[in-house]
Amino acid sequence: MQNFRQVLKKRIMILDGATGTELQKRGMPQGVCPEQWCADNPSVIQNVHQDYLNAGAEVIYSCTFGANREKLAQHKIKDVFLINKQLAELARRTAGQKAWVAGDIGPTGKFIEPFGPLPFEEAVEIFKEQIKGLLAGGVDLFVIETMIDIQEARAALIAVKELTDKFTIVTMTFEPDGRTLNGTDPVSALITLQSLGADAVGCNCSTGPAQMVGLIEKMKPYACVPLVAKPNAGLPKLIKGQTTFDMQEKEFASSGFRLVTQGVNLIGGCCGTTPAHIRALAKRVAHRRPAVPLRKALGALSSARKSILIDEDAPLRIVGECINPTGKKALQEELRAEKMSLLRQLAKDQEQNGADLLDVNVGVPGLDEARTLKNVCNLLAVCTDLPLVLDSADGEAVAQALRVYPGRALVNSISGEPHKLKKMLPLVKKYGAMFILLPLSGKKITVDFESRRKIIERIFRQARKAGFRKDDIIVDSMVMTVSSFPQAAAEAIKTIRWCRDVFQIRTICGLSNISFGLPQRPWLNGAYLVMARAQGLTMAIANPLNETVMNMKRSVDVLLQKDPAAAAFIASFSKSPRAQKRDVSQTLSIEQKISAAIIDGNREDITGLAREAVDSKIDLGNLVNAIMVPAINEVGERFDKKEYFLPQLIASAETMKMAFDYLEPHLREGQTSAAQKTVVILATVEGDIHDIGKNIVGLMLRNHGFSVVDLGSDVSAEKIVEEIRRHRAPLVGLSALMTTTMVNMKDVIELSRKQGLNCRFVVGGAVVNEDYARSIGADYAHDGVKAVAVMKKLRAQ
Amino acid sequence: MNAQYFDSITLTTPLDEIYRRLGYRRTVTKLSVEQKKKVERYIADALSLISLKGVAKRVAVASVSSSQVQLSSGLVFRSQRLAEFLQECDEILLMGATAGREIVEAIQANSAGDNIACAVVLDAVASEIVDKALDWIMAYFNRDLRRASRCLTRRRYSAGYGDFLLENQQIICKTLGMKKMGVVVNERHILVPEKSVTAIAGIGPISK
Repeated sequence: MQNFRQVLKKRIMILDGATGTELQKRGMPQGVCPEQWCADNPSVIQNVHQDYLNAGAEVIYSCTFGANREKLAQHKIKDVFLINKQLAELARRTAGQKAWVAGDIGPTGKFIEPFGPLPFEEAVEIFKEQIKGLLAGGVDLFVIETMIDIQEARAALIAVKELTDKFTIVTMTFEPDGRTLNGTDPVSALITLQSLGADAVGCNCSTGPAQMVGLIEKMKPYACVPLVAKPNAGLPKLIKGQTTFDMQEKEFASSGFRLVTQGVNLIGGCCGTTPAHIRALAKRVAHRRPAVPLRKALGALSSARKSILIDEDAPLRIVGECINPTGKKALQEELRAEKMSLLRQLAKDQEQNGADLLDVNVGVPGLDEARTLKNVCNLLAVCTDLPLVLDSADGEAVAQALRVYPGRALVNSISGEPHKLKKMLPLVKKYGAMFILLPLSGKKITVDFESRRKIIERIFRQARKAGFRKDDIIVDSMVMTVSSFPQAAAEAIKTIRWCRDVFQIRTICGLSNISFGLPQRPWLNGAYLVMARAQGLTMAIANPLNETVMNMKRSVDVLLQKDPAAAAFIASFSKSPRAQKRDVSQTLSIEQKISAAIIDGNREDITGLAREAVDSKIDLGNLVNAIMVPAINEVGERFDKKEYFLPQLIASAETMKMAFDYLEPHLREGQTSAAQKTVVILATVEGDIHDIGKNIVGLMLRNHGFSVVDLGSDVSAEKIVEEIRRHRAPLVGLSALMTTTMVNMKDVIELSRKQGLNCRFVVGGAVVNEDYARSIGADYAHDGVKAVAVMKKLRAQ
Repeated sequence: MNAQYFDSITLTTPLDEIYRRLGYRRTVTKLSVEQKKKVERYIADALSLISLKGVAKRVAVASVSSSQVQLSSGLVFRSQRLAEFLQECDEILLMGATAGREIVEAIQANSAGDNIACAVVLDAVASEIVDKALDWIMAYFNRDLRRASRCLTRRRYSAGYGDFLLENQQIICKTLGMKKMGVVVNERHILVPEKSVTAIAGIGPISK
């Protein structure tokens, strides 16, 4: 047999099509274990394999998609090794030496930590058990397919790589929104899997070939390995209540051709495809020359849901430095207590303020760093989309964290001591991570550029032998404080410039080191950032919460043409509320400011404005009636026209209420209609606990001069009627959100009539409508604005 | 088949649905930068408070008459509409999802306090996310079903719809073991915490 890798360089490889549907056509009953059924009926699966080979497939998948411990246990089958061996042998016998047999590995059906309950090592062991059977059965390569969880794909891939060096394909299943069910996008999946050692990466199932073109288009520019596509026979369609795949062979082949022109190197079919589909596909694409991967290596990092390119043309990448317990007592205590809320907050704050990556340092004296770093990585993998930088000098901690991290991490850092290189380089390579090269060797600090250069070259030579390329490495430019080493900035800049211009490798710096021991550090940090960036700095470890540094970064990106059309710069500053507020406050009168605050729902400033109004001794009655009431009415009109949506309406109403609450003690008798308030009883009826809608109505009514008595939710008819009587309320608002509880509105009205009360009722809630309201003798209000209008109308009658 | 639990469902936030639920109309509603920022902050707060969990269980259908559905486990759902909905199905998928307790407590605190604007956004996010969790569970099961030439109905049915009484929440919740996820049914047949849902989808063969 020819070498699989060599053949892939010369031609498009045709994979087989769907197996499950073929088995059913040939008599496999519903509900049985397909693997066991094939083992019991070997001629059937061999015929399926043979039909695909006859159709032109060069690779057939063993029928072992669900042959892992977890899936087989559902059918009470315990001998995982045996069934995998038997099924691989069947495929092997059918293929002979004319075609390749891929050992097929599907999902366990369980989610792996940190996304689910199955421990990572247990998942690896489950896959190893299956792989051993497949190897014994004589497979040529492995296919890990239909994965939705990148962590499960990683576990399976690690299991293969720890047992064999056979060619391994990994394909993920993406939903119509372009992500896996667990939220992984195709580029992040590609970056994670190819760096971890997958020999080919791609997608299968879920969508038809036309939709898969978009996924392949996204992957191709970043692929260092061949790409794979195994689409369904079109998208499932619902016809007369039944779902069907309706893509015929010719159409499937044409779409397959498009996939190949977009760069797919291995192609076959998934659900709904038949030998006829594969025959048509093979005929259409087999003669095409394959598009080879565009890159040999890629500077990029990934999490389970996001990837970041580390590229000269990209903006400066900021590594958030805040997850570091040095000098932070609260964080130290939290790490010791294994609590995670502060960590979560630090991650969230840095992400929201523009960090591209998060540095994670958990070094606290006396703490089990390996255990803590692993736990923190598991937490951050779930609560932030940003890829992680593992900041530890403890090799064991890095090893454990890299093994479980569901993305491609950056290791911070590897220095030049021979024992460290020997230990760390193979470790980082095994998990496909990138690393920061620290130009240090031994205890002596290298200050001058020349010494650093020699160490960089030496470490790189070692790294190259371990399989790294320059794209996988970031050089630390070793910034030291200018307060102790006045020449520190200049020497670090020389290092950065040499890395960019001569050695052609990317660089990073720990920005705040430059200003240590000096006052007003953000200025020095910002100035150095600009200098270093201009000389080619690629990344900076910095505090993203520092506005000066982040604004410098955004500015220098624009000036160096790393922010096309200054889009990121403009977006960042157009979001700044402070700038806008300053403009407004300088030009408007106090009445205009209050009106604008109500219309804008500016709760933050309204009390201050109301205080200013009182202090300036303006006519407060006029302010309420001629400024505030029209303002809130305008908000209502905008809501009616859908120019405002619910949060805006409520924010304005709350702003109005806050202003009114402040002004009310200062108003003279008769200055506002509030003096003649009409009492409205409000309640959510018995059995119903939903009360947001009712609370909104209460807020709106108060702003329009009603005196609201809110009885809360789940209120009995008796209680409501008692309160109506006690307050002599002429108006009552009832709310219900469920069909089962809206009937209780009728009980309230009937009871009140029985007791001789002649108050008017207004009802509302998601399930209530005009007809129902009329049928129980009530008025109807669809929302808070309508409720005010109806109540006003009833008050006037 | 045992119930399958999903301890941490990760979704792409359904922003369009959240905004639509709050009354946002793309071509009409005018939102200032500051207002948008505030709504985005509330949405981010909501997401950090939601702990999305799910559970699902496949159960074979023993018989479907015009007015009831009997399951192989012996359970009977009495509802003409549900029976009609499951007419073609030989199996059902019972499913449940919850956004957890924290988000509900935040909604209540904000609603009762002085930030109802925040409460309505939290409420909308939780409602949409928990609904999307059921979509997610259906997509998850469809992936396996498709390989066996079977699929789920596109729509799903919940207790409280039409003549399928809310009382059935109790049975569904118990069958799914939702207590393990911190979800219980109160005496009025409402799921607690509030942002929790259950539903039934049918399973049948893909037509040839």
